Amino acid sequence: MSEPTPPIDRAGDETVLAMDNIPLTLPVAGVGSRALAATLDYMLVAILAFLWLFGAVLAGSRFEGRLGGAWALAIVIVGLFLLEYGYFVGVEVLTGGRSFGKWALALQVVSRDGGRASVGSLFLRNVVRTLDMLVGVWFMLLDPLSRRLGDRLAGTLVVHTRAQEREVLVARIPSGWGAREVAVVESLLRRADGMEPGRARLLASDLLSCIERDDPSLLAGSPPDADPLQRLRHAVSAS
Amino acid sequence: MDYGRFVRTRQPLWDEFEQALARARDGAPLDHPALETLAFRYRQVLHDHALAAARYPQTGSARRLWRLALEGTQWLQRDRGTGRVSVIGFFTRSFPRAMRRLGPQLAVATLLFGSAALIGLSLAIVQPSMGAAFLGAEAMAGLREGRLWTEALTTTIPPAVSSSAIATNNMGVAITAWAGGALAGLGALWVVLLNGFMLGVIVGATLPYAMTGRLLEFVAAHGPLELTLIVVSAAAGLAMGQALVAASDRPRRDVVREAGRESLVVLGGCLPWFVLLGLVEGLISPSPDVTPALKTALGLALWLLFAVLAWNPFLKEDQGLA
Repeated sequence: MSEPTPPIDRAGDETVLAMDNIPLTLPVAGVGSRALAATLDYMLVAILAFLWLFGAVLAGSRFEGRLGGAWALAIVIVGLFLLEYGYFVGVEVLTGGRSFGKWALALQVVSRDGGRASVGSLFLRNVVRTLDMLVGVWFMLLDPLSRRLGDRLAGTLVVHTRAQEREVLVARIPSGWGAREVAVVESLLRRADGMEPGRARLLASDLLSCIERDDPSLLAGSPPDADPLQRLRHAVSAS
Repeated sequence: MDYGRFVRTRQPLWDEFEQALARARDGAPLDHPALETLAFRYRQVLHDHALAAARYPQTGSARRLWRLALEGTQWLQRDRGTGRVSVIGFFTRSFPRAMRRLGPQLAVATLLFGSAALIGLSLAIVQPSMGAAFLGAEAMAGLREGRLWTEALTTTIPPAVSSSAIATNNMGVAITAWAGGALAGLGALWVVLLNGFMLGVIVGATLPYAMTGRLLEFVAAHGPLELTLIVVSAAAGLAMGQALVAASDRPRRDVVREAGRESLVVLGGCLPWFVLLGLVEGLISPSPDVTPALKTALGLALWLLFAVLAWNPFLKEDQGLA
């Protein structure tokens, strides 16, 4: 009844060896989410550049004569250069590998073994960004780990950091039940709120009859006429 | 162990690890015993993750342990070189050491740059229209009237603007030359050859109008170091390209990564100089008040200063990287 099901790996995920040679699968981000994150970042850069320009024009007109239009223009040039080359490096170094776009899409730069990327790696992967604007997408499309040129040079990966389910809903099961049965019960309990009430209760009743058949002691203390979903939650929870 | 017992007995440990990790990520100070405990719990979580992934795949506990193992790895495992690097250490040890290792590529880049410059010069002498193609008709008309196009730097563009534009443009060229190395060295080669060729053509274009002396006077203060920095940046790019194409007997991944980091150190050591050169090129080079001898002396002094910092004669071979 409890045959092992395939592990969590998806196509393109990278399995590395963590401490004690324990395999750990890294949820590598694909080209789509990375391109979207980059688009968001460049939109932000464009907005910042506009604000910088606007601020400089405003300051230039306000301090005309004292600061001088030429200095305002010089500051604009330097600011735009710093934005172009410094935004990604600066933000990723400060946040440990999360630019605005990556933060919005829950992505993060990590080292090839899943650890924290070094400052040098974050610099390296971003300084070649101008080149990656031309060839990066092709590199990502051809690479199973969706690495652009900068990632290959720096030895980094971009992974998903979206939080998985935090709660372990099933802590008691009938003897003889295995991972597959646990997964079925958990799946129902997680999705029940979004399902048709009648359908959810029907599925819960089916599962309750299985529990009653395999280990009736789990249902002790819960009245048979109670809501099947409540009974199921009570039967498999730790208390 | 059945699933229920596994969850009941191990869950408190996972909760403890999750809370300790959250505190550590929030910046709570960790003393040595606390860090050791965290690392020990991480190890236990990893083992539980391995067990859950093998025996209880796709269950809630397997997913939770996977996430905890990922978060723990990200926080506890650091890439080499994550620590802080001091600016002084960078310029006195890391940069000179990287420069010393760059010798062969630097020789190749210099040779290519010189050859391209000679070819450009020869072509501009043989074919004078070549100069117009690079400089434009307006600059050529100025040459015929005994004016260098560089005079616009003092007459039409304020020094603050020209300095910042020159500095950022040169930094962009250096970054492109370096980053171009990632395309098997082709981008770096292109920048070296193009810049050398352009220099030759421009010098050649001024010869018929006897303006070469004035051009050399203009570039005397900033030219030697500026060209050196571009050649050095391109050489760093070539080193990266070489690692990509011929990765020796070590895994290409490791060789490329190492070459990339070392060449980035070279680029990082070059970029600040462009700010200084931008000021020199915008303020001193076009100034008629500064004598040619002073400009030449300044150019040589800057070049020597860079050379001494880049090859740091006081650095012993066995001193580690910063």
